[in-house]
Amino acid sequence: MRAYAPFAAFCLSVAAAAGAANLVELNEPAKIADSFSAKAAVRVLNVWATWCVPCVEEMNDLGTISNTFGTQVSLVGVSLDDMIPGDRAVTKRKVISFLDQKKITYTNIYYRGNNDALGDTLRFNGEIPITIVYDRTGREVWRQQGKLDREKAIGQIRKMLGGKR
Amino acid sequence: MKKKVLTIALMFLAVAALADELAIGAKAPAFSLANAVDGKTYAFKPGDGKISVVFFTCNQCPYAKAFEPRLIEIAKQYASKGVTFYAIDSNDEARYAEESLANMKDRALTKGYPYPYLKDNDSSIAHAYGARVTPHVYVIDQKGTLRYRGYVDDSARPEERKTTGLTDALDAVIANKTVANTETRAFGCTIKWKS
Repeated sequence: MRAYAPFAAFCLSVAAAAGAANLVELNEPAKIADSFSAKAAVRVLNVWATWCVPCVEEMNDLGTISNTFGTQVSLVGVSLDDMIPGDRAVTKRKVISFLDQKKITYTNIYYRGNNDALGDTLRFNGEIPITIVYDRTGREVWRQQGKLDREKAIGQIRKMLGGKR
Repeated sequence: MKKKVLTIALMFLAVAALADELAIGAKAPAFSLANAVDGKTYAFKPGDGKISVVFFTCNQCPYAKAFEPRLIEIAKQYASKGVTFYAIDSNDEARYAEESLANMKDRALTKGYPYPYLKDNDSSIAHAYGARVTPHVYVIDQKGTLRYRGYVDDSARPEERKTTGLTDALDAVIANKTVANTETRAFGCTIKWKS
C-alpha cells in the first residue's frame, strides 16, 4: 500500500496544479437545478461568460458570497462561453483557467444548449450577467439583471436565512 | 388550476422582461449619425418607403463579432431586394477605447462592411430603440413600423442554428406577409452606456 503513496501524492499535486474548478457540461436547461446542493437553504444561480465585462467584474463578489455562507448557500454558475463559435475543448479550458484564476470552486455549468431554451427556462431576456436567488424549494425570491450589487445580494440571502450569519 | 395560474404568471413575467424595448408595431425612431468610415452623416427617416435593418453592434464584443460575417452576408444578400442596413455602435468610447471612431473605421474597412457603421455618441439611439445588447437587430418596414426585434439567429454556430430570426422577418416583410416570430431574445454583451 505504501508503494502507492508517491503515486497518490503525484496525482494530488497534478490535481492541485490543474486547479479546483468544477465545470460540468450540460445542454438541457431543465437540469440546471439538479446542480444545487439539496441541503442548502438558499440557491443562487449566476449566468455569465468570460467575455462579458460586468460578469468578470462581479466574479470576486460571487466567490465572497460562496465563501461567506458556506453550505447554507449553494451557488451555481452557468457559463455561456460556448455561444462563441470555436473549438469547444479550447473554450472549456479557457473557462476552467478563468475559474481557477478567480479561485471559484462552486459548481459551474458549461452550457452548450439552445439560447431560447435557456431564456425560457430562466425567464430572462438574454442579457448577462443575471443572478437569480431561489429558496430551498426552488421558488424564485430575488433576481438582479446586470452587475451584481453585492450588499443587496448578501442582505437578501441573510434575510432568507432568518438573519443568521 | 394552480399550474394554469403559474403558467399565466410566467408568461406575464416573460413579457414584462421585454417590455422596455420598442414595441412591435411602433413607429421606429429616426436618427442622424456620423459614419465612422467616411465621416458623413447618415439620416434614417422611417417611412421613407424602404425596408430597413437597424442593428446595434460594437468592436469589442465577441458575440457581436461572431455574428459579423453573418450580418455582412445577409446585408449583401438583401441589398438586391431593396433592404438598407445601418450598423450602430452605442458604446461609450471614453471608457472603452476600442469603440473610438478610428477603431470603428478600421474594423469596418478591414471587414468590408457593406453598410455604414454609425456612432451613437450619447447612446440615445440605443435607448430610443430599447436595445440592450450587441448584436440586437430591428426590422422596419416601408412605412417606418417596427416589424421584428431580437437576434440575428438563435445560435452563432451555423451547424446549431434552428431559427433564423432576421432573415425570416425580412422575407415576410418583403413578401408583404405577417412576420411569424416578431420578438426573439437577443443574447450578447450589454451595451456600454454613455453615462
